[in-house]
Amino acid sequence: MLPFQIQFKPGQTVYGQVVYGAKKAIVSGLLRPADRFPSVRQLSQELKINPNTAHKVVSALIDEGLLEVLPGVGTVVAKSPAPNRPARRELLSNEVERVVVEALKLELELDDVTSAVAQTWQRITKAKL
Amino acid sequence: MNAIIETRMLNFRYGAQEAVRDLNLTVPQGSIFALLGPNGAGKTTTLKALMNIVEPSSGEAFVMGVPTTRLGPAEFQRIGYVSENQELPEWMTVGAFLDYCRALYPTWDAAFCSRLTEQFQLPLDRKLKQLSRGMKMKAALLSSLAYRPRLLVLDEPFSGLDPLARDEFISGMLALVDESDWTIVISSHDIEEVERLVDWVGFLEKGGLRLCEPVAKLQERFRRIEVVLATGAVRESPPRLPHADWLDVSVQSHALRFVESQYQADETNRRVQEIYPDAKEIQSSPMSLREIFVALARCPQTSSLKK
Repeated sequence: MLPFQIQFKPGQTVYGQVVYGAKKAIVSGLLRPADRFPSVRQLSQELKINPNTAHKVVSALIDEGLLEVLPGVGTVVAKSPAPNRPARRELLSNEVERVVVEALKLELELDDVTSAVAQTWQRITKAKL
Repeated sequence: MNAIIETRMLNFRYGAQEAVRDLNLTVPQGSIFALLGPNGAGKTTTLKALMNIVEPSSGEAFVMGVPTTRLGPAEFQRIGYVSENQELPEWMTVGAFLDYCRALYPTWDAAFCSRLTEQFQLPLDRKLKQLSRGMKMKAALLSSLAYRPRLLVLDEPFSGLDPLARDEFISGMLALVDESDWTIVISSHDIEEVERLVDWVGFLEKGGLRLCEPVAKLQERFRRIEVVLATGAVRESPPRLPHADWLDVSVQSHALRFVESQYQADETNRRVQEIYPDAKEIQSSPMSLREIFVALARCPQTSSLKK
């Protein structure tokens, strides 16, 4: 079993979806520093994806510093994985794009969107306190 | 890119009918390559020519660098071939069949074979003729995987398999690619079942190759486009067929829809504006391999797109 799940959506690249799923798992704490990350073979077999794609995913995550290779152990989540702000922001880009597209369809302005986000933000953070 | 399969101007005729026409196909080594196309596009004939089951009418084909008409035991010991209508020695039990195959292949991996037998839940003591279609296909696949071929060629392997059998079949395929030196070619008339597996596609149409490229590139350049036209403007059809790159063009009341096969945001927008200066909003959405395949099949290159 993989430590994270991916609901594949048609239309998006397999590579992009798996990288996104893995990043989300790391950023959200589902995968913690020093946790083992699935091997290329496991990713390929469990997700039924092309092994070349699985390899590309792991390489990209290593390049970004989210994973590290420990000799004799394998690939693990990097010790200080706290991704920088731009990286975390990028994880939101799909959702942002969807909101913007919907807003345009409804002929709203940027101000309408930002104030709606601000309101929702306040409601939710207030509820937390 | 190292090509494990290459054809040059390959032709195959059944009587007067051209099943394969001037085919120049290249399959890169290390890929999972899907040969797609509607029924009758020439997929099976192409694969048969590659396996030297049929001899091409003209042209050349090479597999692992050897002309297909000269493929012999040395090459076939490193090639696995499973086809939809594979003939199996029906009177044999699964176990006897595997023993028989084992003797033919020096690289037969007995441990791998037992692992797959278990994974596929194949009953060794049953006769092949007593097996269901799915079981038979799994037995055929197993007999082609167990010697760890460098090249695995599968002709419509999934047709008629239930989802569970299909899943097991795919796992078996992926177990092979643990090794470094492998290539898989799968023909299919429906891409859905292997969409996540393949990284290269060739699309056959009426015996010719319409496209052959990495999946990533294909998904990059295909977009479904929807254009909202200024309110009040109702058109029945596009004034003229805009671009050969646009497939499946339709205009319904206030919206123009088409599939852009050479998508570049700026360029696509410019072309739309050129024809419909009142275009209000241009939306593009990425397409699954299956949607791309359907759009291509619906708009044959040879026929005019004008209705």
